Amino acid sequence: MASEEAKEYVLPPEVLEETMKASEELWKPVRKIKFRIYKYNPRKDYAPYWEEHELEVSRGMTVLDALLIIKGEADHSLGLRYSCRMGLCGSCAMMINGKQMLACQTRVLEAAGSGDVVELRPLDNFPVERDLAADFTSFFEKHRAVKPWIIRNDDVELNNPTGPYKQTVDEYARYYQFTDCIKCGACLSACPTAATDYEYLGPQALAQAYRYIVDTRDDGLDVRIPVVDTEHGCWRCHFAASCSDVCPRGVDPAQGIQLLKKLLIKRKFGFKPHKPAEALPAKVKAEKKE
Amino acid sequence: MRESTIMFLHYVTAILIVITGLIHLLANNDPVIGATIKANPVLYLGNMAIFLAALLYHAFNGVRVILIEMVPDRCWTKWISWAILIVGIVTYAVGLQVLMVALGFA
Ligand code: SF4
Ligand code: SF4
Repeated sequence: MASEEAKEYVLPPEVLEETMKASEELWKPVRKIKFRIYKYNPRKDYAPYWEEHELEVSRGMTVLDALLIIKGEADHSLGLRYSCRMGLCGSCAMMINGKQMLACQTRVLEAAGSGDVVELRPLDNFPVERDLAADFTSFFEKHRAVKPWIIRNDDVELNNPTGPYKQTVDEYARYYQFTDCIKCGACLSACPTAATDYEYLGPQALAQAYRYIVDTRDDGLDVRIPVVDTEHGCWRCHFAASCSDVCPRGVDPAQGIQLLKKLLIKRKFGFKPHKPAEALPAKVKAEKKE
Repeated sequence: MRESTIMFLHYVTAILIVITGLIHLLANNDPVIGATIKANPVLYLGNMAIFLAALLYHAFNGVRVILIEMVPDRCWTKWISWAILIVGIVTYAVGLQVLMVALGFA
């Protein structure tokens, strides 16, 4: 059995050849694209300016790939932020040809369309840290303000857990999509309310507030009300839904905010979103193990 | 007052405007309803008082929302709300006075 597992799997030669050809095709330079990049270091520069670089791009090249080539070969001082390179950390969100996108997930040719210029600038509605990197301090403060963690009142169970908390699939489905948020800031950047009202909590934080409030394991509605039910909280959302339009993870923060409003109005009439979930008794756990 | 209460009243007043506004329009344009209203002036005044209150609340709250979005400073937010409340109450008092005079109550 072990020797069978160790056997190397060899692709049939025709498949191998086809795969190699497809890969070569993907990385063959196909077009020259001009990159127009925003440059500004608030500690040094008097005003922002634009810098242009031309690059031969292939079909598979992402905007982040191009930026790293430019940084490595043409402008070492270029400031940008990235980490996972696979659309999971949200660090490389920026304005690509005027739209909030993840640089690591956007192919250059897709961004350029029929034109031959790709314009890159930092996210709107954020202060500039340096060049393409935005300052996320207030974004994370707003996120932290809604207490994005499970709040419980049963200290005994919390400190000495007897089992996991009960939750049905339907209850999980109520907040599932919001767990996909990677905190990239694209939604806040696209929000017209956030553009004028810098105190506005923003789609990301409000959708996360909703995510935790409807989680049956959470009992923190009353703790979060003073944060979200304020002059600069969920009521300032005008439902333009531009936040949901740009979210690279397919989260719908605009919907989360409207559901949060509904929940707050229902709360006025005494309705609570749910009863706090109980922990599964230890016996059930043991039975399941058998 | 919590923002949710203010905004809930904002939605309620929108519905009230439609209902009382419709009664007001019918009273002035439908001969049958007009005659009924003429026979019950107190009811008509009541309808107009509610209409005016709902209209002013809805309109002034709209202005308040625009202002607090344009001047997001938290310290200003309180002042804006108070100023709008006072202007709204004064406007309502004047409007009610005008209505009462127009309908022959004062
Ligand atoms: S909701 Fe979407 S756009 Fe907003 S921070 Fe989360 S992942 Fe980014
Ligand atoms: S739906 Fe609300 S949060 Fe989203 S962009 Fe519009 S105003 Fe902003």
